[in-house]
Amino acid sequence: MKSHLLTAFLLLFCLAQTGDGGVLFSSLPQTLVVTASIKQGQVLIAGEDSITLTWGLNQSFVGRTDESYKEVKVKLCYAPISQVDRKWRKTVNDLSKDKTCQFIMVNKPYQKLDQSFKWSVEKEVPTGTYFVRAYAYDSAGEEVAYGQNSDAKKSSNLFEVQGISGRHLSLDVASVCFSAFALVSLIGFFLVENNKKKRSTDN
Amino acid sequence: MASSEGSFGSSMHGVTGREQTFAFSIASPEVPTDSTAKFALPVDSEHKAKVIKIFSFAQPHMRAFHLSWISFFTCFVSTFAAAPLVPIIRDNLDLTRSDIGNAGVASVSGSIFSRLVMGVVCDLIGPRYGCAFVNLLAAPIVFCISFISSAEGYIAVRFMIGFSLATFVSCQFWTSTMFNSKIIGLVNGTTGGWGDMGGGVTQLLMPFLFHVIKLAGATPFTAWRIAFFIPGWLHLIVGIMVLTLGQDLPDGNLSTLQKKGDVTKDKFSEVFKHAVTNYRTWIFVLLYGYSMGVELCINNVIAEYFYDRFDLKLHTAGVVAATFGMANFAARPFGGYASDLSARKFGMRGRLWTLWIVQTLGGVFCIWLGRANSLPIAIFAMILFSIGAQAACGATYGIIPFISRRSLGLISGLTGAGGNFGGGVTQLLFFSGSRFSTATGLTWMGVMTVACTLPVALVHFPQWGSMFLPASKDAKHSEEYYYESEWNEEEKQKGLHHGSIKFAENSRSERGKRAALASAPTPPNSTPSHV
Repeated sequence: MKSHLLTAFLLLFCLAQTGDGGVLFSSLPQTLVVTASIKQGQVLIAGEDSITLTWGLNQSFVGRTDESYKEVKVKLCYAPISQVDRKWRKTVNDLSKDKTCQFIMVNKPYQKLDQSFKWSVEKEVPTGTYFVRAYAYDSAGEEVAYGQNSDAKKSSNLFEVQGISGRHLSLDVASVCFSAFALVSLIGFFLVENNKKKRSTDN
Repeated sequence: MASSEGSFGSSMHGVTGREQTFAFSIASPEVPTDSTAKFALPVDSEHKAKVIKIFSFAQPHMRAFHLSWISFFTCFVSTFAAAPLVPIIRDNLDLTRSDIGNAGVASVSGSIFSRLVMGVVCDLIGPRYGCAFVNLLAAPIVFCISFISSAEGYIAVRFMIGFSLATFVSCQFWTSTMFNSKIIGLVNGTTGGWGDMGGGVTQLLMPFLFHVIKLAGATPFTAWRIAFFIPGWLHLIVGIMVLTLGQDLPDGNLSTLQKKGDVTKDKFSEVFKHAVTNYRTWIFVLLYGYSMGVELCINNVIAEYFYDRFDLKLHTAGVVAATFGMANFAARPFGGYASDLSARKFGMRGRLWTLWIVQTLGGVFCIWLGRANSLPIAIFAMILFSIGAQAACGATYGIIPFISRRSLGLISGLTGAGGNFGGGVTQLLFFSGSRFSTATGLTWMGVMTVACTLPVALVHFPQWGSMFLPASKDAKHSEEYYYESEWNEEEKQKGLHHGSIKFAENSRSERGKRAALASAPTPPNSTPSHV
């Protein structure tokens, strides 16, 4: 009974956080369990590899903890090491301003049973070190709970992604061709005009 | 305009193309038209155009006008093309804020050196080759973007693309050889402003190209590389156009005229000495760093600032940032015009006050921009700031022609280089590393602008005065004395200084209303000085 009241109160408190700014991360209870199928020190190649994600309610929370959960978004989040000297990935308590988790991996309605998804690393994902976090949203679209595969300090269960280079052989070839054309034009003009001058002074 | 012209045909006005004039008087009735010359526009005795016809491309004057501003515009587009795409590039290359800041510094530092070299190149082989050279060499460098895979490569390529900003010097030099000095203020302000506009257009163009290329199916990390091909092609096209369509001087190309002996050359060592020993040169080097330098900084950081701080879409941030650069279309010519207008009544003192007022206001609005917390106020502050800074650029080049007549080319180049140097230093101080947020950086940049504009008060012309001091009453300190002192006795005996005397007479307009007291014109002298 006590835990019911506590969680209900916490939920109400979270809902009351709406208004100016967004929900505060520190106010969210960690009621979800998230795992990702990664091996120690694994480097995922963007555009090629994939991992399996599973998420669900932590079974130690009994009763109606998850009554307000309507939707779950599993997001790819930057580990602290990938945030160093990069203010555009900063962690901020106000979730409307937080930039830690910039890629949505899965977006599904909430279900009581555990869910899983095979996520392929998209080509847009940049090189970096990441962890996985899931947010539960209520019917108003606000965060009400979270779970992550890493610890509180975001130092365990991290994985690396190797982004695509963006380079292509065809681009390289085109680049060399046009550059050569520019240099040939310049030298060509010099020579032609020098010849013209020589001919006009010879006459 | 004052009565400094003498009998018909004796005026040497327009000989050097460096005499300052009033921007609003486009047609110049006092300058006799050479009716034997067959040009599309009325020309003076030097065959420099007396009139601008904006929509004409006629050889040689208007063609040079359009080629010079378009080539300068292209270089601005490619130098700042990366800025609006930084949010994509930083993820592709795994850049840190320091890397981005360093690249920004690098992009404006390269041209410190290249602008000085371009001044010499224009003298030796002409502005047409100088301009085409820079454009056709910039093209391969821009195409190199497709090879970049690290922060070092990114910084190196942006540094080398930045060399192309040397076309500022060739642009202003070329129009000075083509247009009579009575309208050169407006011509230079317009070509300078329309070229600078490239920094604004690029903030719109690059995100647009990126978006279109993404729609065509490319992934973001490839799309930004493809987008750079467009500035690369522009350099190619412009370079070839300048070589095939352009002409150094109204009468032909420089090398041909030098062979015929029509154009003489001064000694570089003397020109150099008179530029660097004049303290006013160095004050303007500092000042231009806080009008143009600040503008260069903003071109590098503003799109990213609006994207990150106000959470705008990339495309929208580009639009907002573009309005800053686009204001150059009118703001820089306006600055030159305001300078000319104030000179009418107050002479050089008016010009100095105008410069101080607009540049300080620019700094104040920059502070406001940094402090603004809401998007509408930030945009409003940015627009006012852009007008102030760009008008200051125009007003600066309303005064530069008077600092020295002998070393004008080098002083223009030094000042231009100073603009880049100031931009690089400011970018390094406030927008690299993690010491300041961009908003705080903007505030401090505004404070520094206000502080570094105070030295305008130190610029004193004995013949005209300064902001707080009137002209020297000593009869020795006339315009002639000031400009003749750049030549030694030996050179005066050879008659090399006659152009300076003519210039001095014409510059009497800088006395303001007192210019109504004219002196007797000196006898005509037909030695044309170096262009």
